[in-house]
Amino acid sequence: MNSKERFLATVERKPVDRPAAWLGMPDIYAQPALFEHYGVKNMHELKLAVGDDFYAIEVPYESPDASAIYAAFDWYMDGNVDAEERTLTADGCFKDAEEIEDLDFFEWPDPAKYIDVEECKRRIGAAPKDKVRLGMMWSAHFQDTCASFGMETALMNMIANPEIYEAVDEKIIDFYLKANEIFYEAAKGELDAVLIGNDMGSQRGLMLSPEMVRRFIIPGCKKLVEQAHSYGLKVIYHSCGSIADIIPDLIGVGVDVVHPIQALAAGMEPKGLKERFGDKVSFCGGVDTQDLLVNGTPEDVKAKVRELRTIFPTGLIISPSHEAIMPDVPPANIKALFDEAQKVY
Amino acid sequence: MGLIQEISEYLQKGRAKNVKALVQQALDENLDPKEILNDGLLSAMMIVGTKFKNNEVFVPEVLVAARAMNAGLSVLEPKLVEVGNEPVGKAVIGTVQGDLHDIGKNLVVMMLKGAGFEIYDLGVDVDPAVYIDKAEEVGADIICMSALLTTTMPKMQDCIENLKERGLRDKYIVMIGGAPVNDSFCEQVGADYYTPDAATCAEVAKKVVLEKRAAG
Ligand code: B12
Repeated sequence: MNSKERFLATVERKPVDRPAAWLGMPDIYAQPALFEHYGVKNMHELKLAVGDDFYAIEVPYESPDASAIYAAFDWYMDGNVDAEERTLTADGCFKDAEEIEDLDFFEWPDPAKYIDVEECKRRIGAAPKDKVRLGMMWSAHFQDTCASFGMETALMNMIANPEIYEAVDEKIIDFYLKANEIFYEAAKGELDAVLIGNDMGSQRGLMLSPEMVRRFIIPGCKKLVEQAHSYGLKVIYHSCGSIADIIPDLIGVGVDVVHPIQALAAGMEPKGLKERFGDKVSFCGGVDTQDLLVNGTPEDVKAKVRELRTIFPTGLIISPSHEAIMPDVPPANIKALFDEAQKVY
Repeated sequence: MGLIQEISEYLQKGRAKNVKALVQQALDENLDPKEILNDGLLSAMMIVGTKFKNNEVFVPEVLVAARAMNAGLSVLEPKLVEVGNEPVGKAVIGTVQGDLHDIGKNLVVMMLKGAGFEIYDLGVDVDPAVYIDKAEEVGADIICMSALLTTTMPKMQDCIENLKERGLRDKYIVMIGGAPVNDSFCEQVGADYYTPDAATCAEVAKKVVLEKRAAG
């Protein structure tokens, strides 16, 4: 099987020769040690050297305010959307908005102006064709809506003034639907899957009640999933944390793969997930980054991968439980993860 | 339903305007400000915290309840000063250096307030020494550190080592928390208490401060 066949079989929960595996997007500070360990010079070479089944592609976005699509909105109105410092809880420009008219002053960016179609084609074309070409769409409308008000104000508005929350969310979803369409059109036929998502979970449970997730997040999720499906793309939906209670809702809107299995979060034990949802959706993740990958030995990591392969003979993409591998993860543990995942038993 | 009970119920529903008006009414009716505080506002906040801990309510519900508590406190505080109400203790809190996660830390702040603490919130990305400087400056009882990343957890140990170097380790109760923190890490770095959630943090903080004070 090549990477693509392996991925599609995983999504359909059909037999695989060995599980697909995804490196994720190592943090910039984690990259130098990984490059050295594998004797490579850049991320492109690293992906090939580890034998990643995936090849992530980011949407090009260049506006006067931002050079990444996940930082497209200048909520602080200072023309300096520094992705590093976006913490969601800082007050955003809609902090005091009460009526829908109070949103009028904001200039919504037009994605058509800032996404270069040729650059989309160049990036997608540069990805190896035998890999799973994964568009990193994010389209994190919940997190963006939180940032637009300031997270605490946004969450309180969900209770006290839901109309204003929804009005902003809708604008943001429209932005992403338009942006994604540009990328998908440019990609035609050359993209296999996309990653979309929002962080909804904490270590111990959801951040919002399941009812609120259903009212405020799932409808937008549905639009984004349907759009991707209309282009024949598989959807990997991302949310960190403990999200088991809303996995049925993600399944309901057609999500193909739930990412990540954040292994130590409450209710996210791989075995339980397999029992509850294993015949309805596939997963990605499972190799814990909060203890095992940081403090464990390569042997411990291999043992975990073996265990995951036993629980999920198919239906699981082996990957760290957070895509942003941090600099405290020894590269030898990443190598162990891939070595064990790539063994054909 | 009594006025105090009504304050408590509106607080639990996060109705800031009602809470504010009812606290004013209670003061106008000459109810004891300490009773309004403890039985109207603080105990209601603890009920919300306990429900949050049990996943019966979630972050938004806690936030609106805290907003309602603060609205009530804004009316009540001048009176509390008049009657000489002392806080349970003083706590310095912040998210450790290199870490920007603050939702959990902010909930801990709210619950500590709900337990009657005076809070000095240093925000995020706090240098280990700054916790100690602040604690010394305000005469704190507790230092609370929050970390959500495995890469920033070691900063907790740095702060504790710094306390030892300055000969202040026994002067302060050190509490730590955040997603990757657990009991064994707490023991390993020599912190005093770890709790997995904000409501328990407030309960433990109150208990140990009162015990420490009683022990003189
Ligand atoms: C929301 C979130 C974010 C938001 C933060 C918004 C904000 N202003 O806080 C954003 C998007 C900005 C973010 C950024 C990042 N994040 Co983040 N994030 C999360 C997430 C999904 C939820 C955290 C949260 O707010 N929970 C809700 C609150 C209520 O819970 P809590 O914080 O745990 O607090 C409770 C208890 O822990 C306790 N508590 C908290 N503090 C204290 C203190 C004391 C003294 C006590 C007693 C108790 C206590 O009480 C609280 C209430 O009960 C977690 C997932 C998770 N499992 O936690 C990842 C997570 C923490 N993030 C992670 C990562 C990797 C990152 C980034 C590095 C990603 C990246 N490359 O951009 C950056 C780092 C930025 C930085 N320098 O800090 C990883 C960390 C993995 C690791 N190795 O440790 C996690 C675990 C996700 C995962 N899948 O692995 N993140």
